[in-house]
Amino acid sequence: MSATPAERLDRRVADSDAPELPVVRLGYVPLTDCAPLAVAAELGLGARHGIRIVTQPEPSWATLRDRLLCGEIDAAHCLYGLVYDVQLGLLGVQRDMAILMTLNRNGQAITVDNHLLEQGVRDGESLARWLRRSPPSTWAHTFPTGTHALWLYYWLAAHGIDPLDDVRTLTVPPPQMAARMAQQTMQGYCAGEPWSALGVYTGVGFTIATSQSIWPDHPEKVLACTRAFSERHPQTARALVMTLLEAARHADEPANHEEVARILVNCGYVQANVDQILPRLCGHYHDGRGSRWRDPHPISFHAGGTTNYPYTSDGLWFLSQFHRWGMLPDRIDFEATVQAVNQTAIYGEAASALGIPLPDSPMRSSVLMDGVRWNGDTPRESAEAFPVRARPLPAGHSAPD
Amino acid sequence: MSSASESLRILLVDDHPERIALLEEALSAAGHRVVTTLASGVDLNERVAELAPDVIIIDVDAPERDMLEGMQTLQRKAPRPVVLITRSGDRERIRDALRAGVSAYVVGEPAWERVRTVLNVAIARFEEYRRLERELADARSALAERKFIERAKGIIMQQRKLGEEAAYHAMRKMAMDRNIRMSELARAIIAAADLLA
Repeated sequence: MSATPAERLDRRVADSDAPELPVVRLGYVPLTDCAPLAVAAELGLGARHGIRIVTQPEPSWATLRDRLLCGEIDAAHCLYGLVYDVQLGLLGVQRDMAILMTLNRNGQAITVDNHLLEQGVRDGESLARWLRRSPPSTWAHTFPTGTHALWLYYWLAAHGIDPLDDVRTLTVPPPQMAARMAQQTMQGYCAGEPWSALGVYTGVGFTIATSQSIWPDHPEKVLACTRAFSERHPQTARALVMTLLEAARHADEPANHEEVARILVNCGYVQANVDQILPRLCGHYHDGRGSRWRDPHPISFHAGGTTNYPYTSDGLWFLSQFHRWGMLPDRIDFEATVQAVNQTAIYGEAASALGIPLPDSPMRSSVLMDGVRWNGDTPRESAEAFPVRARPLPAGHSAPD
Repeated sequence: MSSASESLRILLVDDHPERIALLEEALSAAGHRVVTTLASGVDLNERVAELAPDVIIIDVDAPERDMLEGMQTLQRKAPRPVVLITRSGDRERIRDALRAGVSAYVVGEPAWERVRTVLNVAIARFEEYRRLERELADARSALAERKFIERAKGIIMQQRKLGEEAAYHAMRKMAMDRNIRMSELARAIIAAADLLA
């Protein structure tokens, strides 16, 4: 029996909604906050949306980036700042990029060598005093344009320490952080979990600051792909966001935290033990020198969707901080850059299809540790108002463009 | 800046000693100077500054790649990933490199033609190494299979009081009847014997 015209039309509409690709390959770096990707793949959450998620670990952010740009993977768990770095070609590699959604907020930390305790270092203020009378110290982060570099810089600067002048900073692979600090080749590091907790649990260091104490509910990892990918496969991109929204919602439920930690460990996502991942995943912190607390801003994967919306003001913050540290070429249009990268339309369609509410505004307002309010207004001027920032180049010199 | 005819100073970072030896030999034969080879886990920041290579070839799976990326904010003559300087026609080559497990950085502005030959040599050697590894694995499993068959044959000889040739023929017939490989049958016989022992 042949289909009626209406049925044929229905089918065509249904077909036109179907993802262009049956399999979506996702890259991730082994960290607690890759949980939404792990949950999506291991619980088969893509099936409902017509896709199969395949995940692969990446040994470094550089290799994750290169595989994304060469099309070896379709999308990835990515440091927020790294996406803008590639969009603007800050480290030389330029490609138009897309942020499909935010994967998590919070859950990173700065860990300091226990040897500094003997020298009176307890917090930012005592560290600043120690730095003034000590030989130059070395501080590690995970990628020059990544979130951890920016949390570390922000926190040091908030205590009057110039991260570009007063200390030496370098990039270190997170699983090597605690071991290198134990050898006293560096005094502190900023990294994701479980590598910060590991520094504490192995008795090497103490948590001097969590990233959420720098900026409560800060954006952290995003789901990134090239713009070419999202433009060529809009249906796949939407199905992917829907799948990861459901995965993030699942991972966010306190009742599921133990299952999430087990997936990360037993399915080989993170080379650590469940008891090294689970406490901080649940917001249970101890700093390694006697303080224990239930964090009011633990790692968040969903929070009713507020975690996942790719806020314009979040993107602008990264550009503003890049400008603060002298990393941006001149004549960057901040707003246009964020609007081109953060795919609020794709996110909006995906969230609405799942009944997940959208915020009233693409801008949100936060107060950071130094009392500075951030709402996305005047990103360039805000950066230039910080007392500690990269010194502007003398007249006649211009930043590379 | 080095001209196209000059040899490039190359730093190799790789945890596979056999692969690194293959590559070093091939690069030297092509007229380049391999300044040093390093295993991962070292402080690349200091070594790169010390050795001043023109090109760094690093295993794509080495986590230290991010240390090289990190040097870009520290110094002017910092390593830059080769993926960035590829002309459009070379993009496929970069994909080949990633698939072979090669990533590369350049320091300063060495002639691109020379860098490309280095990259090609690295890709070829990494692929050769992979092939050798596969052949070795195949040889090992063939050897293991032969050992299983020998052990199973011994069990049959003992239990059924057969000579060596007769035991082998009995096993071959059984494998053919059941439509399984000799090695599978051998494993089953060994497992059964272990169970009954």
